Amino acid sequence: MESQTHKEGSYTILRLSGEIDFHVSPKVREAVLAGLDEGQNLLVDLSGVSYIDSSGIASLVEGYQHAKGKSLSFALLGVRDGVMSVLKLTRLDKVFPMFDSVEAATAANK
Amino acid sequence: MTQATSGNAVIEVENLVVGYGDRTVLNGITLSVDSGEIRVIMGGSGSGKTTLLRSLLGLKEIASGSIHLLGKKFHYGYPKHMSEVRRQMGVAFQGGALFGSMTVGENIRLPLREHTRLDENTMRIMTRIKLELVNLAGFEDLMPSELSGGMVKRAALARSIILDPKLLFFDEPSAGLDPVTSAELDELILRVRGATRTTIVVVTHELDSALKIADRITVLGKGEVLMTGTVEEIRNSDDSRIQDMLHRRPREEDQDPEDYLRRLTAKRH
Amino acid sequence: MIKYVERFGDYVLYVLEQIGWMATLLFKSLYAFAKPPYDLFAVVRQIHFIGARSLYVILVAGGFTGMVLALQFYNTLERFGSIDLLGSATALALVRELGPVMAALMVIGRAGSAMCAEIGIMRISEQIDALECMAIDPYRYLIAPKIIAGIISVPLLTSVFNVIGILGGYLVGVLIFGLSEGAYFDSMYAGVEWNDVEMGLYKSLVFGLILTWIATAKGYFLHLDRRGAYGAEGVSRTTTDAVVLSSITVLFGDYLIGALML
Repeated sequence: MESQTHKEGSYTILRLSGEIDFHVSPKVREAVLAGLDEGQNLLVDLSGVSYIDSSGIASLVEGYQHAKGKSLSFALLGVRDGVMSVLKLTRLDKVFPMFDSVEAATAANK
Repeated sequence: MTQATSGNAVIEVENLVVGYGDRTVLNGITLSVDSGEIRVIMGGSGSGKTTLLRSLLGLKEIASGSIHLLGKKFHYGYPKHMSEVRRQMGVAFQGGALFGSMTVGENIRLPLREHTRLDENTMRIMTRIKLELVNLAGFEDLMPSELSGGMVKRAALARSIILDPKLLFFDEPSAGLDPVTSAELDELILRVRGATRTTIVVVTHELDSALKIADRITVLGKGEVLMTGTVEEIRNSDDSRIQDMLHRRPREEDQDPEDYLRRLTAKRH
Repeated sequence: MIKYVERFGDYVLYVLEQIGWMATLLFKSLYAFAKPPYDLFAVVRQIHFIGARSLYVILVAGGFTGMVLALQFYNTLERFGSIDLLGSATALALVRELGPVMAALMVIGRAGSAMCAEIGIMRISEQIDALECMAIDPYRYLIAPKIIAGIISVPLLTSVFNVIGILGGYLVGVLIFGLSEGAYFDSMYAGVEWNDVEMGLYKSLVFGLILTWIATAKGYFLHLDRRGAYGAEGVSRTTTDAVVLSSITVLFGDYLIGALML
């Protein structure tokens, strides 16, 4: 698993790639919460993620709740089929805002 | 017999012989289960299906033959392999086997506590995700003794999938449940497989449930594999024992009147 | 005749086999516990169960044992005109023999039976299988904390038992029979030596090990019982067995250690 962050205006974009399982999800959680603690809106780009287990999903859920508590926006970008089916199984596909690109996400929040 | 070595088999059993004392219960079982498959193992009582499951779980010592799970030799002599494989597999026992001294939530979290170093929040959310999945949202803080039979089974399923196993074993999912709850459980098994591509082995004697969820069915009889095939192949089989099972005909065993009389009157066996 | 010899041989083999399982359990549990990560919290929980929750029983039993001892000793010593020895007689009897034995028997009755039944039920309801299938070592997770807690708790409970027993003796000797307080305690200081206390301590350590070991092993190997183990009947029979066996072993061990250390 690899992660990179960069900033675009009031948005932090966290780009994850590879496989997210319980060995690496603590890092994902840390990265997500760190981005939000800076007071930035957070977009998590999952387009490079081929597999995510429930600990990864749980980290994203916690991040989303955290963002709501701070009135920041939080969204997932480029969710692939494999990840989507896991989200659907747990009905979280209806919970997370999901977009195809950074532009679409920022436009939706204006 | 199916292809013994197809490239992506996650369970491979070869010539498995298992017994209790002098009595042989499994007599040369060979089978393989592909990745992502739902395999139902069926058979009446005394067919050896429970013993086969216990051997696959590493709970029963085998006499000869071999078992490979996830490509590793799974056997008493290989404790490292067993522990590695077991971290990637989940088991839902017939009676649930929840720990009575812990709440439902603690039961489900136990594998996380023992095998991961996840944050407390992450563990709590994961537990609740699994509880939602099995329709037990809000039951986290109850003790197992406060749950009904069907709820215990669902909680046990939640615990067995908490680590997102590659391999899931389910012992008699419908035993002791009403038809509606049992159907819900079947539905759940199908959904879990659909989303996670988990390989699932279900041991059952319940025909309807087997026909509904199975990709392939292995029928055991008297310690041997009678047949392995898709639901369609099983239905069309001309083996009389399988047809008896499909039509719920009681076993007709040819009887020797002399022998019968002797059994009834003998002072000791 | 041959049949009886055969049956006897069978039985001896079975007993040896059982001893083998029990030895395996003890060895594997202690070995598993010796490896990090140490599960100290589990041990503390078991100390609470075996130790803290046995405290009331120990207090009551200790008090009465001391009182009965003082009563009997007073009668006997009075005949020989040596009631001054009451303090040391009571204390020695408690510290060397009755304290360790009675405390162990109380813990067997209160905690040993419960541990055996609990583990036995976990065995027949597949909970131990479930632990194994989760790659959690039942010896480390389930058995070891109980044995360690037994070794820690029983000596402590024995000390409490002794102190309360001595106070019980004081109640009878000094407050009821009017022996002087100085005489009671002075003879105790003079009569009790360190190696008496040491012997009691060793005994209680061994008893703590024995009673948790037998209780847990009996429950854990319930399914291997040759009389068959099915449901409530199997659990109740095994629990009875465990209580009887551990009580007898404690009494036998008491004699053995006493004989060896004298």
